[in-house]
Amino acid sequence: MPNIVTCFKWVIDEAYIRTDSSGHLDFGSVDYKISDYDRNAIEEAVRLQEQYGGSVVAVTVGLPEATKGIKDALSRGPEKAYFIKDDSFKNLEPSQTASIMAEIINAQIEFDLIICGEGSSDLYAQQVGPRLAERLGIPSISFVQKLEIKDNQVIAERKIEDGVELISAPMPVLVTVLPDINSPRIPGLKDTLGASKKPVIEITRNDFSGNYEPFLQTKSITAASMERNCEKFTDSSEDIQRFIDALRKEGVIG
Amino acid sequence: MAGVWIFAENQEQSLELLNIGTDLAAQLETKLVSLLYYNHEMAQDHINHGADEVLLLPPLKGDQLLDAYIPTIISEAQKEEPDIFLLAGTIRGKEIAARIASGLETGLCSECIGLSLDQETGLVEMDRLVYGGAGVQKVVCSKRPQMATIPARTFEAVAEQGARQGQIRELLTPPQAPVKILERRPKDRKSQDIREARVVIGVGRGIEKQEDMVLAQQLAEVLGGEIGCTRPISEEMHWLSEDLCIGLSGISVKPELYIGVGISGQIQHVTGIRDAKVICAVNSDENAPIFEVADYGIVGNLYEVVPQLIKELKK
Repeated sequence: MPNIVTCFKWVIDEAYIRTDSSGHLDFGSVDYKISDYDRNAIEEAVRLQEQYGGSVVAVTVGLPEATKGIKDALSRGPEKAYFIKDDSFKNLEPSQTASIMAEIINAQIEFDLIICGEGSSDLYAQQVGPRLAERLGIPSISFVQKLEIKDNQVIAERKIEDGVELISAPMPVLVTVLPDINSPRIPGLKDTLGASKKPVIEITRNDFSGNYEPFLQTKSITAASMERNCEKFTDSSEDIQRFIDALRKEGVIG
Repeated sequence: MAGVWIFAENQEQSLELLNIGTDLAAQLETKLVSLLYYNHEMAQDHINHGADEVLLLPPLKGDQLLDAYIPTIISEAQKEEPDIFLLAGTIRGKEIAARIASGLETGLCSECIGLSLDQETGLVEMDRLVYGGAGVQKVVCSKRPQMATIPARTFEAVAEQGARQGQIRELLTPPQAPVKILERRPKDRKSQDIREARVVIGVGRGIEKQEDMVLAQQLAEVLGGEIGCTRPISEEMHWLSEDLCIGLSGISVKPELYIGVGISGQIQHVTGIRDAKVICAVNSDENAPIFEVADYGIVGNLYEVVPQLIKELKK
């Protein structure tokens, strides 16, 4: 019966980010969420446990404020969470997140299968999964849309540009999942109440030895601008004609 | 040791990376090295397109994935110590790039959409999109090699420079990896065409019923285009295949003309159309964010506007 680890990130909900009048990103009224595809990762871990037995633990690395995220994750089915936290974990680079997780997982958690989302909703670097696998010295299969376990092997359908690859790998293995793999359940009141009773292992800066410096430095984050005409037309027949004329003038229709 | 390395999965992508690679290698006065596995006969061709050296990765057994090359590439990079290593940002490329970066203890800029050499520091400044496409993050890498994955068609293919001299060297056969391909299922051609389409009609939740998709189809037909959609249409409604989902986590399109029909314009989706030459939108809500990123927008009920457009365009 597989011991499954699922990793998640507590991120700014990008839907709340505004661009102010001077073109800067405004984080003033943001809310947080479990990164979208990590919800699929948690769901898949719980689904596999329901099918094959075993255990599911959730792991996250982040700021101490992410407590709400831990509860949210636990309400989705894992029986235990590892919360690796520090005030300095504000803008961790993928290499740091992966290295920190690898150290803790190696030292403290038994695993056969690690499931991550294909990328986080905020930075979407899509690196933590494969980097974590490399650090742990195990194979990885990314962009998986279907997953089963058979004779101590995982069988995964991986979506690539020109089709699908059906892949097998012996456990322990790490898999990153696509949003199409499942529809994450919405936790009910009972799940939320139950989550408060589940154990949370808190791991602080003193509990791990590595000093993981960032390899990438962020020089700036600016609002992505799209310079467009923004010309509006009504639905009157004259305006429709003007609209078509504009496209002809642009040379994009015959 | 130094050099600019490139790795891609096919000739088209190799030529794009050779383009930016030639530029960077010239500025750094170093050599341009192409890692080649898919067709060893292209080695001289890569040299004629600017590579000073081609490193041949031995062919893999049929059941092996590109992952098998990871140890070979890591150990060669440890020996040669390239300054810069650019990989094509394909699904497989992104995974092996992250593992190689981890093995080399260096940073990786994922999905880099632009890069330039800072003349003062000699570092590559790399841009990428964050927060669902709302922001542009500029990063530099303090370690070597400075790595990036680059999405297809970010750069033009490099022009052939005529017959050139260069080195060709074969790397060691990698050990058998534990991950195996059991089966390959190629996709039918249809869904790939949308990335090449000259006109793309994007469909969003403003379309009320599956039957009404025919409106978008007719509009696409009259303009000689293809249909794509937002994530809810493919993922929740299943009206179109996932491969036609346009956006940050789906595909990016670069058509001459994009028309969003019943699309509100969430940043996730808009990121996938940012390189369209002309963006148009039809939406009944005049405050829909799609109008802020559209060149020409029609405020109106799509069920009235689209049939009129089809009628007029047929004339």
